[in-house]
Amino acid sequence: MISDITIGQYYKGDSFVHKMDPRIKILITVIFIVMIFMCKNFLSLLLAGIFLVASIFASRVPFRMFFKSLKPIVPIVIFTAVINIFYIGGGKELLSLGFVSITSKGVFTAVFMAVRIVLLIMSSSILTYTTVPTMLTDAIERLLSPLKIFHIQVHTLAMMMTLALRFIPTLIEEIERIMNAQKARGADFENGSLTDRAKALVPVLIPLFVSAFRRAYELAFAMNCRCYTGGAGRTRMKQMKLHISDFAALFVFAAGFVGIILINKFFGVVI
Amino acid sequence: MSISILETKNLTHIYSKGTTSQVDAIRDVNLKIEKGELVGIIGHTGSGKSTLIQHFNGLLKGTSGTVLLDGKDIWEDKSKIRNVRFRVGICFQYPEYQLFEETVYKDIAFGPSNMKLSKDEIDRRVRNVIKFVGLDESYFEKSPFDLSGGEKRRVAIAGVMAMEPDVLILDEPCAGLDPKGRDTVLSLISQYRKSTGSTVLVVSHSMEDISKIATRVLVMNESKLAYYDTVDAVFSHSEELKSMGLNIPALTSLFLRLKEKGYNVNTNIYTLEKARDELLTLLKGGKSE
Ligand SMILES: Nc1ncnc2c1ncn2[C@@H]1O[C@H](COP(=O)(O)OP(=O)(O)O)[C@@H](O)[C@H]1O
Ligand SMILES: [Mg+2]
Repeated sequence: MISDITIGQYYKGDSFVHKMDPRIKILITVIFIVMIFMCKNFLSLLLAGIFLVASIFASRVPFRMFFKSLKPIVPIVIFTAVINIFYIGGGKELLSLGFVSITSKGVFTAVFMAVRIVLLIMSSSILTYTTVPTMLTDAIERLLSPLKIFHIQVHTLAMMMTLALRFIPTLIEEIERIMNAQKARGADFENGSLTDRAKALVPVLIPLFVSAFRRAYELAFAMNCRCYTGGAGRTRMKQMKLHISDFAALFVFAAGFVGIILINKFFGVVI
Repeated sequence: MSISILETKNLTHIYSKGTTSQVDAIRDVNLKIEKGELVGIIGHTGSGKSTLIQHFNGLLKGTSGTVLLDGKDIWEDKSKIRNVRFRVGICFQYPEYQLFEETVYKDIAFGPSNMKLSKDEIDRRVRNVIKFVGLDESYFEKSPFDLSGGEKRRVAIAGVMAMEPDVLILDEPCAGLDPKGRDTVLSLISQYRKSTGSTVLVVSHSMEDISKIATRVLVMNESKLAYYDTVDAVFSHSEELKSMGLNIPALTSLFLRLKEKGYNVNTNIYTLEKARDELLTLLKGGKSE
């Protein structure tokens, strides 16, 4: 069903990871993503994997939630892997059929890319599973606030993100409601040719847009009535405070980062 | 006895079964609805009314139990479920948000066109049904988005009526309307049933509204069928209804208070005439203790 989408989903809990400062969580996620893309041999990849699994355990979010977030990207992973196998040359030639040739470097790259994408999705899932969307955008706003000197409206961007995230579940609910109503009037979304099915979406999309605009206007009015004028001079209800544990976590990941550089250096690279 | 038009047997629906957010929306519902009745479905918010009615046209399939339409299981042939939807028309809560066509005419014609009827038949139905909802043909070329809230609601209801379903189900048709709009919609529904002879189910959480038009009342409480009986019989349980969080009609609550004070009165009173008679007997006979 549509409601299976896990974007921006929060998994309630009170683990160490849930309580961490969201700014640090974002920083760590960025560090980790850079880490995965620096892995050049299996040992470093293993180290990154250990960091990920340890973080999942620390977050106490069940593993099946992570498999759920992986499901939609399986085709992308397979596609990238296949492309890499055929297009990357170099290393030992393993198989050659006329103009197609598969090399050891191609196979390694394919495996690495697949593992990297999986790690990437899982690590960003830890972030979204353990952080409420509003806290996440709040943290992004603070991390990006130095950009203000370039006259970038960081607050406005963050507010737009918060609102967009907030309305994803509402709109999903709305789609289901409208689809049910049109089905009750005999609309058929499951059968017929591709053009028939595309046409069948019109009675869903029009009411959806109408209601999205209506909601946007209502929201704008409501914000106006509460004197919202943008970021200037706005104070915060929830202050973010860094704790020693936040620094400790950051330090551990920084150490992992260095570890990967060293492993690459001393154990030889395969891609 | 003849076959009931709609019947459920041990109907149960559980949302998100097996997860932490599991909800037993309806449990073990058994009911029979006879042809030509106007059944009011009442219950507190979240008692499972909307979930129940979505089983009647196969938008939802029960976790267990069956739904019979004219004595036949609606899920007997899965590919025929669309025909069930034409025979059991549901108009959802806030139906005005499902309008999408350029003109009122086209929007009302959406249901009948999905039924693959002839052009003439569609035209007949649209012209017929606009009268039922108290509007006229001058509305046909207007955009549904330019109408007032109450008019939109009526056009949307007409869109379902135009399928000429054997059973018409309306989910909270009066929600969000002003008192005058509510009375209009209620009397339209009542007239529609009288002139077409079809079976009508009206969901509401207001007993006042239901008591005005229904022949029978079905009360849902905490996912279960609490009562299903004539209006009189259900209202004789007014104290229990009150404890289920239902706002009973003002008249009924007056008689409840009288009874609390020690007067010997009936409490299943919801019309002005009955209230007058009951008060007169009380005053004449001096039934008080
Ligand atoms: N699509 C759904 N998914 C999960 N739970 C639902 C869904 N629809 C309704 N519920 C839950 O089922 C229960 C009954 O809801 P509903 O049938 O809408 O009650 P009512 O119409 O009487 O207010 C409620 O607890 C509601 O939260
Ligand atoms: Mg409801």
